[in-house]
Amino acid sequence: MKNTFLFILTAWLFLGCNSSEKKKNTSSLIQNNTLLLQDPLKESMERGGIIYTDFCMQCHMANGLGVAGTFPPLAKSNWLIEKRTESIHAVKFGQKGKIEVNGVSYNSIMVPMGLTNEEVADVLNYVMNSWGNTQKEMVTVEEVSKVTKD
Amino acid sequence: MKLIVLVTLLTVGMWACKNNNNPETALSVSHERPYTIETVVDHLNNPWGMAWLPDGSMLITEKEGELIHFKNGIKTPIKNVPEVYNRGQGGLLDIVLHPKYSENGWIYLSFSSTEGEGQGGNTKLIRAKLEDYSLTTIESLYKAAPNSTKGQHFGSRIAFDNENYVYFSVGDRGDRDVNPQDITRDGGKIYRLHDDGRIPEDNPFFHQTNAKKAIFTYGNRNPQGLVKHPVTGEIWSHEHGPKGGDEINILQKGKNYGWPVISYGVNYSGTTFTEITEKEGMEQPIHYWVPSIAPCGMDFITGGKYPNWEGNLLVGSLKYNYVELIKLKGDTVVAREKIAEDIGRVRNVKIGPDGYIYIAIEGQGIVKLLPN
Repeated sequence: MKNTFLFILTAWLFLGCNSSEKKKNTSSLIQNNTLLLQDPLKESMERGGIIYTDFCMQCHMANGLGVAGTFPPLAKSNWLIEKRTESIHAVKFGQKGKIEVNGVSYNSIMVPMGLTNEEVADVLNYVMNSWGNTQKEMVTVEEVSKVTKD
Repeated sequence: MKLIVLVTLLTVGMWACKNNNNPETALSVSHERPYTIETVVDHLNNPWGMAWLPDGSMLITEKEGELIHFKNGIKTPIKNVPEVYNRGQGGLLDIVLHPKYSENGWIYLSFSSTEGEGQGGNTKLIRAKLEDYSLTTIESLYKAAPNSTKGQHFGSRIAFDNENYVYFSVGDRGDRDVNPQDITRDGGKIYRLHDDGRIPEDNPFFHQTNAKKAIFTYGNRNPQGLVKHPVTGEIWSHEHGPKGGDEINILQKGKNYGWPVISYGVNYSGTTFTEITEKEGMEQPIHYWVPSIAPCGMDFITGGKYPNWEGNLLVGSLKYNYVELIKLKGDTVVAREKIAEDIGRVRNVKIGPDGYIYIAIEGQGIVKLLPN
């Protein structure tokens, strides 16, 4: 129960909008609850957000909506939920060829980014918990390491 | 909160609709193609650079680190290519032959390298010779510092002017507020060297203490197009803006191109990082794009194969999968036309020694346009 509460709280914090008032609330909540700082998902998402800005945002955009017809959306993407292994594979090794996301087909290429397994897990945790996305289970380094190229 | 999201979405939506790349020159789309598209090289992943040897064979860099020799349909990997830092936008990048290649055999290559101080990598320029499908006599000409694990903005394009100076670009490496405006740091610059790597004494900051003496221009974001104008001999560049604000510039010694103090772009999130688009002491582009097309690769049309297009400029669009034909009157953009629409993510565009337009496409290969 406590875990669920923490999860919801964390998710809420991350889904919170950019108003300064919210930010103030966030920081005071964090100060009041050191447990949050040790939340592995939150820490992973924090690292993942930096990776996202560096490697993904140019195409998938800051709002995760991508570019219609060219770069598939990550926000509310059925792919992230239904094709978890393929999602890990795409971030780890790149993605090429025809895919269907939210009923729209895309035929493009994402070149491999050269991320470490930890960075792959972090950025996926960020993506899978942003813009209205939620994940059932956090992506771990072990899970990423088990996804092989072929 | 819902209201804020709604307002943000509306703003983004309205911004996206405002498709006015430079208000005075609209982009036109011709529905008839006066050319046929023919595949030259297939099955490439990310063909970043291409160059032609005197016998007509091609040298192609694959970002992942492979240098390919291509002749008569056969791909041969070149051996002894330096190890590259293949991360984000970094990897094996551009390749250009010395203008006097047939006399001296020098090939210039740029790539991201882990050499030197700090974790990560930064852009490096080398020259080498090609013998027996192997790089030999490799000479390091420049290595930008310090290294960074950031994935963005390695620049990389190489060009020669009429006096055989070599120019190359290094992007801001994702450190917008640190690198481009600081001439004591690498990144966000276009550099000029003698062809053997010596720094010309008449470089603009050669005598300035602590300056990176190889700098030719600064205040650049991420230039991925660099080419000599066939008539004036000036070096033209283009660079990616963030969300909006891609630019074409003509390089002038020591000039500041303004990034990120002035820009026609905004942050990827839609927020602004600067309120101004011009400032004294900072150069205006000769053209800018809002929204961004993500320009990559550039060349002037020469050689007479496309008489109606002769002397105009080609720019690839990574984002919108076409090549832009930019019609010029001197330094002024007078018209813009989409060619090779929907071709794929254009990584490079060049005029080959046979005068044809060659387009390198991510995930596909290299095609050429044959006029009908």
